[in-house]
Amino acid sequence: MKWIKKDLQQFIQAKEYVDTAVVPLLPFQLSNDAKLDKDAFQSEALTVFLRELEKELTGRVMLIPEYHYVKTADKEAELDRIRNWMNDIQAQPFHHVFFITSDSSWKKHEQALPGTMIWLPITSDESADPGRMQSIIREHVQQVSELIRSYWKDSKT
Amino acid sequence: MSEGKQPVSRRQFLNYTLTGVGGFMAAGLMVSPLRMAIDPVLQESSAAGDFTNVKLAVEDITDEPQRVDWEIEQVDGWYESKVGKSAWVYKDENGDIVALSPICKHLGCVVSWEGSDDHPDKFYCPCHDGLYYKDGMNVPGTPPTAGLDIYEHKVENGMLFLGKAQPREEA
Ligand code: FES
Repeated sequence: MKWIKKDLQQFIQAKEYVDTAVVPLLPFQLSNDAKLDKDAFQSEALTVFLRELEKELTGRVMLIPEYHYVKTADKEAELDRIRNWMNDIQAQPFHHVFFITSDSSWKKHEQALPGTMIWLPITSDESADPGRMQSIIREHVQQVSELIRSYWKDSKT
Repeated sequence: MSEGKQPVSRRQFLNYTLTGVGGFMAAGLMVSPLRMAIDPVLQESSAAGDFTNVKLAVEDITDEPQRVDWEIEQVDGWYESKVGKSAWVYKDENGDIVALSPICKHLGCVVSWEGSDDHPDKFYCPCHDGLYYKDGMNVPGTPPTAGLDIYEHKVENGMLFLGKAQPREEA
């Protein structure tokens, strides 16, 4: 489910089935010319990925609006803001929270994130071949939904 | 599997990524077959009787359900976008082609044929363990309360064309 009227109307009715929140962490910057296209591509690719992932697991997953931040920003300060988001999000009974990002600098702060971090190493090198890019994204979707499902399974037993 | 074979031009992929947000919204609208069925605006835009070649030769259809993916243009009012569609296709015991929508009738997750090792010969929904028999009927006692939607299909020059997914008559 997404944060749109139609899905939220359904969410209100079927809350007990939607126990997982996915929070995208998307960096942006406009200050480093050399990396602009790379960074933007990564963000585009992650957006496509999220759209596909949400489709796959829509009945149990709430896709939270994208959390944008300046790429070079101090992560401690961002973490404070993320915790604020989470305080609000956790008003709903989500048992599983996943942070999805392709920004590897979160790796160092993984422990501090109030949920499970999934790092998706998407590079722009493949973009030369869009067909290949599509199948790479599809593969990522399969793998990440596997992973999310494994958390669901563990919580059942 | 099958998407690997489909040629996708650079422009198509750019559209795919660049129209991200629109596609996102459209994808959401697509999830509700009921809405499609009752909303005349949406119905008009996807022009009943519009069939898409899903690039599957009829002779390659077996009695084992296989997944096919394709894209359609969708117009929502003023906004045009590409939407990815999928179906599970097989031949039943009479040799008739069956094309089922993979959208779970519970809350819309994507089901897979034999998607769980614990449930052979069934369509499985990973979200809340929904199950469907091979003919797409829901297994009682699991969350879905209706059978999977069925795509209209036709065959031209040995290729499979799929139209709209239709809900079943009230079971
Ligand atoms: S969405 Fe398929 S069982 Fe709930």
